[in-house]
Amino acid sequence: MIEFLQFSAEQLPELLKGVPVTLSLWIIAIVLGFFLGLALAWARVYGNRFWYALSTAYIELFRGTPMLVQMFFIYLGLPQLGIVFDAFTSAVIAITLNSAAYQAEYFRGSVLSVPQGQLVAARACGMTQWQAIRYVVLPQALRRVLPQWSNEAIIELKFTSIAYTIGVVEITARASDIGSRTLEFFQIFLLAGVIYLVLTSSVASFLGWVERRYYVPGVTHV
Amino acid sequence: MADTPVLRADAIHKRYADNEVLKGISLTLARGETKVLIGPSGSGKSTFLRCLNHLTKPDRGTIELDGVEISDANIDRMRARIGFVFQDFNLFSHLSVLDNVSICPIRVKRQARDEAIRRAREELERVGLGDKADAYPAELSGGQQQRVSIARALAMDPTLMLFDEPTSALDPELTGEVVKVMQRLADDGMTMLVVSHEMGFARQAADEIVFMEGGHIVEQGPPETLFSQPAQDRTRAFLNVIAEHG
Repeated sequence: MIEFLQFSAEQLPELLKGVPVTLSLWIIAIVLGFFLGLALAWARVYGNRFWYALSTAYIELFRGTPMLVQMFFIYLGLPQLGIVFDAFTSAVIAITLNSAAYQAEYFRGSVLSVPQGQLVAARACGMTQWQAIRYVVLPQALRRVLPQWSNEAIIELKFTSIAYTIGVVEITARASDIGSRTLEFFQIFLLAGVIYLVLTSSVASFLGWVERRYYVPGVTHV
Repeated sequence: MADTPVLRADAIHKRYADNEVLKGISLTLARGETKVLIGPSGSGKSTFLRCLNHLTKPDRGTIELDGVEISDANIDRMRARIGFVFQDFNLFSHLSVLDNVSICPIRVKRQARDEAIRRAREELERVGLGDKADAYPAELSGGQQQRVSIARALAMDPTLMLFDEPTSALDPELTGEVVKVMQRLADDGMTMLVVSHEMGFARQAADEIVFMEGGHIVEQGPPETLFSQPAQDRTRAFLNVIAEHG
């Protein structure tokens, strides 16, 4: 135990340098994925047949293939067509596109769970379709989706670790480097795990706070 | 202008596949008039009401509000002038009672927030719910929710109010409070078209009763004559059924 603490004190500063990379990768991807996911859900719920089909095909494609394959395809495959992204950008794109597919399905479910009569009531008082969705459907759908969305956000936070495979120097990459150098694989990956755990539980409690903050009786549960 | 009816519906037709629900319904409402639509379920009353503000689009026929024909181009503006009260209230669940009543004036009429809130409080007082401004819909009884939905419609300063079976989703002991609010509205000179089987309300508040069956208007007239001496056998048969159950 003492040995582990000592090792941690020595290696932590180096390992922590990966945290900003992990977090920026995650935040950019989850936020872009949020908007893309909303658009995809919109297409599936309100779109005509063309948009519905396009969105459905997208979701099937990205949920049906491994994120690692998608990341390799973008980082290693696309350059053969002359489309080149650096490692960080490739990772952001892969995680965004993948996360959007999952977020879209959660959004779709929550949008459909808002009673249709409320949309009709909003239209009946003169709101346009867009206003009714913006002021009546979305505020409820977003509240209802929060528990599932939090889950998805945390899964994506952990998925950033596969960016290590294409050379993004985030937490896992740093741990692996330190491990190769010191040969203390047991300790360094234990430490990396602790860091991930601190990050995921902080995110979970923040999102739990958001849920309680926006609680409305009859719309969500605590 | 004084002679222009508030509402003029002319030969409204609506068909769902093989089922012709409305076979040419015409009806006018003068300013301050209250008419109550009655008839067996499936007779097309609710469909007709929903056609009036295009919640259901009629296949044929014209609808004029204050002499202006309702069309796809002006529908949102027209709806802003027609209050609609639903059977199942349809309050916005995520908004407080006060926000439910003020959101449409703010978003549709671009009313200043302070002004809309002040007006919303007034309308809530009017339906006897001034003390519930901060509650959420889920915290209210059905009767209270329906009164909020009436306040929500009134806050838009409607030219015309449509009520689609406003008491049929309520427990019997809660219908009274809603009927009382509607009664007072009618007395205050609101122009109202009400689909309802509340015979007490119809008798007291209606200038005219309209009996519909099978997509037609069978008979219409003031409550005192229509209820006591209906001209048509079908009207009499229907009134007997209602009397037995009511």
